[in-house]
Amino acid sequence: MADDLVLTRLVGRPGVTTLEGYERVGGYLGLRKAVTLTPEQIIDEVKSSGLRGRGGAGFPTGTKWSFLPRDVFPRYLCVNADESEPGCFKDRYLIDELPHQLLEGVLIAAFTLRVSHAFIYIRGEYRAQRELLDRCVAEAYEAGLAGRGILGTEWDCEVIVHGGAGAYICGEETALIDSLEGLRGQPRLKPPFPAIRGLYGSPTVVNNVETLSNLPFIVLEGGAAYAQRGTAASPGTRVFCVSGHVERPGNYEVPMGTTTFRDLLQKAGGVWKGRALKAMQPGGGSMQILGPQHLDVPLDFKAVADAGSSLGAGALVVMDQTTCLVDVAKRLVDFYHHESCGKCAPCREGTYFESQLMHRLEAGIASESELATLSDICANMDGRCFCPLGDTATWFVMSAYRMFPDEFLAHCGAGRCPVRAARPAAA
Amino acid sequence: MTDVARSPELITVIVDGRPVQVPVGTLVWDACEKAGVFVPVYCAHKKLDPVAVCRMCLVEIGTLPKLQPACATVASDGMEVRTRTEKVREFREGNLEFLLLNHPLDCPVCDRGGECDLQDFALRYGPGRTRRAITTKVHFNKAVRLSDKIVLDQERCILCWRCTRYYDEVTGEKELVLQERGVHTVVAPFEGRPLQSMFQGNLPEVCPVGALTHAQYRFRARPWDLRRTPSVCPGCSYGCNLNIDTRETEVVRFASSDKPEVDDGWLCDRGRYGSGDLNRADRVRSPEVRLGGPGRSMAYSEAIEAAATALASVISEHGRERVAVLGTPLMTNEEAFVLQWLAREVIGTPHVDHQLLPWTDLSPAEFSLGIEEIEACDAILVVGEQAEATAPVLTLRLYKAERKSGRRVSRVPGDIEAGEAARRIAGASRVGVISHERDRGLAAQVAAIAVASGASVGRLTITVGVNGRGCKDLGLLPNYRPGYVATAEVGLHGRGILEGCQSGEIRALLAVGPNPAVEAGADLDRACAAVQLLIAITPVRDAFWRHAGVVLPGRTIAEKAGTVTSSEGRVQTVRIAVHPNIAVPSEVGLLAGLGACLGAARPAPTAPAAVLEEIRTAVPSYAATAGGLRAAWGKLR
Repeated sequence: MADDLVLTRLVGRPGVTTLEGYERVGGYLGLRKAVTLTPEQIIDEVKSSGLRGRGGAGFPTGTKWSFLPRDVFPRYLCVNADESEPGCFKDRYLIDELPHQLLEGVLIAAFTLRVSHAFIYIRGEYRAQRELLDRCVAEAYEAGLAGRGILGTEWDCEVIVHGGAGAYICGEETALIDSLEGLRGQPRLKPPFPAIRGLYGSPTVVNNVETLSNLPFIVLEGGAAYAQRGTAASPGTRVFCVSGHVERPGNYEVPMGTTTFRDLLQKAGGVWKGRALKAMQPGGGSMQILGPQHLDVPLDFKAVADAGSSLGAGALVVMDQTTCLVDVAKRLVDFYHHESCGKCAPCREGTYFESQLMHRLEAGIASESELATLSDICANMDGRCFCPLGDTATWFVMSAYRMFPDEFLAHCGAGRCPVRAARPAAA
Repeated sequence: MTDVARSPELITVIVDGRPVQVPVGTLVWDACEKAGVFVPVYCAHKKLDPVAVCRMCLVEIGTLPKLQPACATVASDGMEVRTRTEKVREFREGNLEFLLLNHPLDCPVCDRGGECDLQDFALRYGPGRTRRAITTKVHFNKAVRLSDKIVLDQERCILCWRCTRYYDEVTGEKELVLQERGVHTVVAPFEGRPLQSMFQGNLPEVCPVGALTHAQYRFRARPWDLRRTPSVCPGCSYGCNLNIDTRETEVVRFASSDKPEVDDGWLCDRGRYGSGDLNRADRVRSPEVRLGGPGRSMAYSEAIEAAATALASVISEHGRERVAVLGTPLMTNEEAFVLQWLAREVIGTPHVDHQLLPWTDLSPAEFSLGIEEIEACDAILVVGEQAEATAPVLTLRLYKAERKSGRRVSRVPGDIEAGEAARRIAGASRVGVISHERDRGLAAQVAAIAVASGASVGRLTITVGVNGRGCKDLGLLPNYRPGYVATAEVGLHGRGILEGCQSGEIRALLAVGPNPAVEAGADLDRACAAVQLLIAITPVRDAFWRHAGVVLPGRTIAEKAGTVTSSEGRVQTVRIAVHPNIAVPSEVGLLAGLGACLGAARPAPTAPAAVLEEIRTAVPSYAATAGGLRAAWGKLR
């Protein structure tokens, strides 16, 4: 199985978080090879690898790169390390364990796209990771892997690590760009897309940490080797963050398509305390809920979409039989209410209204007509907001309501949470 | 869209089943308007770039599964737009519910009640019932004093961003920002600093609700009690169009009125908040004759006769050339024309002016650049600070030329050497040179250098007073008759007249007030006190009123009908917004009456419209100016 790993195969090697340790296990060979290739050759390898963005939308990386207009410079690369999806902690893991693998990927992308500046936009709360990246970037400059005349070529690229201020919305690529420019982090009107007019009005590519961390392998071993993992439709491997009611929460790299939710759950030791699975949320806080009936769905973009959800940013939150879905929904809605940037009316006001209703519902003081209101306002938000934040603020709630209508209805006028009341005292 | 495209390619968009042809690049919102289909918006504004934050304009487009913002979607050929579907109706209702969630229910005391888009759309598209007994509204500060002019009610704000975008895109000053996040977002002054812009008064007008309010107008009136009269801003000679909103006999506010060629929908604060000047308490209410004794109120006819008799005796005793006539740049074209007729044809004096300093070396090039044409110049040079200080809305046009059309705007001080100033516009093929009339000499030199280097040069000269330009066009000058026909004999200019009053060279002065141009630069009081006979027509108790032998009450510009000519030569109509509460004859009538009593060979018309007809005959350039067009000056005679 170890041969199948891509992203985490070097995790735990001695000193691998330092440049020296990373190079000892073959680090930066991908970059050294990349600079002997043409950008077109690298793009071809990435395209043939079938790599799709790991930030949540799953857009094919090679295709995204090819949207950059020809011969328009300067261009910028933004690395989205603003990992803030509830239930997601894979980017932090990849930075913690293999910071130089990310940096190598960043430099490969920067070389391929001929960008002059690569910005690593890292979530404000990831302070230790920022300091680690700062150190690694300094090491790379020292070793001539970044800055002027990289690896003795005529290619220059500055790498800048920039910390965010802790806003969820800054994970949205255009909000990230605005924040990087020193503006309020809020999504921009598209079109123009960042590939045409992004950071400082220049063509810009925004890629996720995990996406870029795949590049050293793809360049070194070839796109075909990468595509051998997983299935044709969902090639490669992916790091899933498994959390919630499992025995061993953590990050697990598995091939896509050939692994099922059941396999992944098993890797994490199964549902804790020997309990049964009630529900699971793939893709992080934004995505629709799945049930035990979906355990044999493969971790494949299309299969999960057909099941009514999405792999999103690669998280799996597991909920056991004692969980109150109304309570979970309330907590998630509160998150979106807190994180709504306030730019558009349906999200700003809708998440507020949603949160108020969920609090009443969870406390058992809402009426059935308020439950109808909840469905109604969610329908008015979904697909009508400026950016996906407001849309996704409704997805978990509505999917949970659809899957557990009785549980939601039982809360109405109950005066308390009926699920919690039914729980054994020890739980 | 106001962009002037040369024969743009047309595409067909189908709006609610109705095909319309629009140029390539048209927004769906504009296509709907062209099709006669109203789409409600809050954030979208004709003069601002789209942001699509309020979502009010979402419509169905083609087969797209999601509703799309009409304000930010560019129309394409064959696009099918549907605005009246159940999906759109439901969304509008839901979105209004969202916007009203935290909106206070203070419409009954809100300045905007009655002219509020939130009120109107809530009535038209809103849910009609509330589902919100359950929760508490989020509360904010209801009276944030942003400056001495603007008060912000943060609770009424629906966060459409128009005000912050106005500052970003129209003035470039960025004085307002958004603070906090989500439902707690508020509009606030940057770092808490009071607003300093010259253009704050536009903020309450771009605001679609009652959040931004005029301190001057706050809680003063309800819109349905106001009577609206389209007019021209009396603040300067730039010619901004506005609406005079009156209640009974009081001018309550000036509201902007979009004239894209001139003001582009904006007013400066000096102009807008100058509306209070029209409500002055120190009005001259009735004619008064004080000749050789205590003042006595009289009927108009008696006062006019007394004035004519006194004037006639000065003429017979000292001669016609000892009489001077001083108008004011606040007069309408009709008044100016009749006044110069009275001076030249009836009294027979060459000493007639409306300002202090002489206006010589006149060339048609001085007026060649229209305000709208500024945006088409490759390079624009503003000579001296006075032009923009006098006509602030010019600054917004210059910023627009820079921002939207990428034009090069340079500003030089009024005491710079002409060659150095000309270097700022070197290399440009279409050049605009803008100056205040005080700096017209330097502007002419700079323009000459640019012309010599092969550039095509347009000049805009900012004249003083709302109708300073019209007074000049119509010969209220000692050296030009109407239409800039040079006079055989050059009379005294304004300063000369006032000096003449003191030296005794001028024995009688017929003056129309108030005259800020003259008051600013001379010892008017001493001159008025010294002259033997002063006949004054003035609406307020100014220096003329204090010293006059005969006083005839004048009208403020809000009480007048007629036309005024802006600096760029646009002849625009002013209308009677407030009827004087006493039966006051118009100035044109007073002057015509004075002429008749002095034995004019041919009576002057007393109706402004009839005078305008005479002007059009006498000054051919004014023949084709109906409807607010610019006077077309050919080669001056």
